[in-house]
Amino acid sequence: MIVLENVSFQYTKDRWILKQVDLEIENGSCTFIVGPNGGGKTTLSKLMAGILKPTSGDVYLDQQNTKDLELYQVGTKVGYLFQEPERQIFAATVKDELAFVMDLKEMAQEEIRKRVEAALEQFQLQEVANSFPFQLSRGEKQRLALAAILMNEPSFLILDEPTTGLDRERKKILSQLIEQLKEQGIGMVIISHDEKFIQTHADRVVKVAGGEVKDGG
Amino acid sequence: MSYLDPRTKLVMVLTVSSLAVLITNLYLLILVQIIAVATVTAAGGSILDMLKKLKKFLLIFVVIVFVQSIFTKGGQPLWQVMNFTIISDLGLFRGLQMILRFFIIISSASIMTTSTPREIIQGLVQCKIPYEMAFMVTIAIRFLPILRDEANDILTAIQLRGINLRQIPLLKRLKTYSYLLMPMITSVLLKAQELSIAMELRAFRAYPQRTSLRVLKMQRLDYLVMAVCILVFLIIMVLALKIK
Repeated sequence: MIVLENVSFQYTKDRWILKQVDLEIENGSCTFIVGPNGGGKTTLSKLMAGILKPTSGDVYLDQQNTKDLELYQVGTKVGYLFQEPERQIFAATVKDELAFVMDLKEMAQEEIRKRVEAALEQFQLQEVANSFPFQLSRGEKQRLALAAILMNEPSFLILDEPTTGLDRERKKILSQLIEQLKEQGIGMVIISHDEKFIQTHADRVVKVAGGEVKDGG
Repeated sequence: MSYLDPRTKLVMVLTVSSLAVLITNLYLLILVQIIAVATVTAAGGSILDMLKKLKKFLLIFVVIVFVQSIFTKGGQPLWQVMNFTIISDLGLFRGLQMILRFFIIISSASIMTTSTPREIIQGLVQCKIPYEMAFMVTIAIRFLPILRDEANDILTAIQLRGINLRQIPLLKRLKTYSYLLMPMITSVLLKAQELSIAMELRAFRAYPQRTSLRVLKMQRLDYLVMAVCILVFLIIMVLALKIK
């Protein structure tokens, strides 16, 4: 569960990006954040993930204040998909990208291989398994970044515009995945401008504009 | 400071950083550091910000002191373990000398940030530096903050995969940092490629001669500041030679 209590945020002293936001996001629900460009959606999501710390107020992640949590501790609970997927891809091949964390945790090679194969199949990345990730299309990078996050088995997902660059078929696959994750009880916060996608999956819509958050229920 | 010509600022940076390289006397280096800080403060820079930047180099300073103490012969030992000198007064002196040079060069470079990239190009071009070279320098300055942001994002993304960079063993940590380099180098190459295409499309170098809408003109104050710079340079150099 993510709780924001009276959260305000500013990057520079002369402008508030968010003002006195109170919000609760429950596990197992799918909350969409909508609003105009530059309205503070990404900032709100980064505050939820503990990437940014509030200027005033508190953000609690499973009852722990994000001010007391280090990023790696947040990472064991929350998976965050950046708006620009290339910023969270760092390995030399698609396979290595998926195996990255498991390799560092010294998991058995056979187990790593199995899980990587499963992810490649689920996200239709088999054909590019040995490719250099930076030469993939935007949609492929998006899928790879999401697949890599899910390898970590987070209990909460924050996705910043996950449908960008996806064709109709891939959007359908993403939709199925979101439903599966919901069934598994994984909470999700999704930033999107895709109205049809929002209507299909939203349990709740939150509107962010001009630093204010309006809960659309 | 923004009213000064970028060429004047370049002379200021060159004066201060040349002194940092040429001088070996610790007291004179401290004097040059004070001059650098005073100049940056006059330029509207914050001493606190500067100190924050320099804090990152503290560990390097400690390492330099140890390395200089261990590998430099001579000097009085300040800390010994079983007849092996860990810190000597000469090592400490050389370490201080090196870190001061670092500090002076880094702080003096902030003077240039008070000019816009366009002004810097124009300044360099009017110094008879080929436009292509001047443009290259400005692009480098322009992209540095973007690269810094990207590096931060990648580090954040690595940690958000549940990896505690401080706790993993050194060898693995080094491997993890190699993951940071790969996307950075790729991003630089891709950006360079895209930028070159964009420049070609906007007819960069289509004509041998370029004209500028804004031409910089040196004011009396610029000449005065330059003269002061040369004077300060000469005085400190003479002092340095005398102290030797």
